Amino acid sequence: MSASERFGDSLGHTAEDVADLIPMVRRIVYARVGSHPSAEDLVQETLTRVLSAASTVEPGMLEPYAIVTARNVVSSLWRDADRKNRNQHRLVDLSAPEPPEKQVVLEEEQSAMATALARLDERERRALLDHEVDGTDTHALAARHGTTAGAVAAQLNRTRARLRVEYLLAIEHVDPPTDRCRPVLIALSSGDQRRQREVQAAQHLLECEPCARLSQPLLERGQQRDDCLRIPVSSDADIVSARRAARELATRLTFGATDLTVIATAVSEVCRNIVRFAGSGEVVVELLEAPRRGIQIVARDGGPGITDVDRALGDGFSTYGGLGLGLPGVRRLMDEFAIASEPGHGTTVTMTKWEGTDRERPT
Amino acid sequence: MNGGPALVSIMRQGSTLIASVHTALNDSELVRFEHDLVDQIGEHRSRGVIIDVAALDVIDSFAALTLRRIAEMARLRGAQTVLVGIQPEVAFTMVRLGMGTGAVPTALDLEEGLALLAEQGSHHPRPDDPEA
Ligand SMILES: [Zn+2]
Repeated sequence: MSASERFGDSLGHTAEDVADLIPMVRRIVYARVGSHPSAEDLVQETLTRVLSAASTVEPGMLEPYAIVTARNVVSSLWRDADRKNRNQHRLVDLSAPEPPEKQVVLEEEQSAMATALARLDERERRALLDHEVDGTDTHALAARHGTTAGAVAAQLNRTRARLRVEYLLAIEHVDPPTDRCRPVLIALSSGDQRRQREVQAAQHLLECEPCARLSQPLLERGQQRDDCLRIPVSSDADIVSARRAARELATRLTFGATDLTVIATAVSEVCRNIVRFAGSGEVVVELLEAPRRGIQIVARDGGPGITDVDRALGDGFSTYGGLGLGLPGVRRLMDEFAIASEPGHGTTVTMTKWEGTDRERPT
Repeated sequence: MNGGPALVSIMRQGSTLIASVHTALNDSELVRFEHDLVDQIGEHRSRGVIIDVAALDVIDSFAALTLRRIAEMARLRGAQTVLVGIQPEVAFTMVRLGMGTGAVPTALDLEEGLALLAEQGSHHPRPDDPEA
């Protein structure tokens, strides 16, 4: 019995249902790639994929399905630009839909993702979607729910951790054999070691075969998730959100007030370059353990690029009319600073602040 | 400015305008603040302007340029501007960034800012001010 026979035409989604999703898909795509020239192509590609699968998607699941598809289509664009770095930052590692024979696998992954989204409770799902789909920043969410941005960010991390677990359970068709399984898997997924001890995760993994099997991918990912943020940047408001998020993450190390301000300011400058000169891009903020503890910020865009990097780093060049605004100052603020730019293919700024290096901080 | 709580308040005290920034402003909000403040300086024929930036945790190159531009436009309209409340770590970062406050005088807080204006105002009375 084929899928379409099973669901029947009356239950399957129609082209009209897909058309209703267009505004949402546009929002997802534009929130991520902004005015990138391929934005409309990405919208069309997403809709085509959703339409081709619409008749087999379960009733009520078309919206999550479209969200996942849009995210995949967008991340495949970024992947082309920077495959290696991207892999660490996606919500759930879905394979690129490249060879046609992998299409079946991809659809299975998407339906698992849809199932996982559906298993979150309504409030969690709403907050995650507002953040991931509409790009609502943690401060706006905090204001809406009468709480703090830090609390929202922590809640979002817990939701992502749960989503990864539910995704794995769905794709592996595992029904957790005990009540302890989910708490253990979520603690592993979030990389929260205190919580892992509380739920006696290690012991459970010795006793529970399904959890031992599922924990492998969670442990591999968990390490990097918690201390790494990816922030899409395409508007003035994103500049403020990005620098707040970087500051928030940096407070986990022992940076002093001056270093926190320095980091936030440097992020602000590189984000402004993205908005002004490239239209959109992203910033990845990551805490480093090696070779020393510190915070690394990678700002990348697919904009016009800087023709003469040396000149852009000269102080006289830092005007609002030209490219490379503020870069000489940013280089002075940070401990490490590198810029790679290719005319026509965008710019990547990588900068690092090490813990405990500021010598001239005011007392 | 957008239906939420005010991001900035501008109060009038005699011939002085006191503008307090209540929260981080993004670039568009900074530009709107600049326009609002410069408009009010003209409207009230103010002689002194105090901008309280104690709530700004970051003053990056754009914010610094905007504040300097406000002071310059105020000067052209016959008003003296004082920036007050710049946090020490913000000041440090501005200097490192190569974006000081330029020729705009600064004071520790509102009270000192008012004192500075009073002092300077007595040396440079506004020529068209009937009370001068
Ligand atoms: Zn288990």
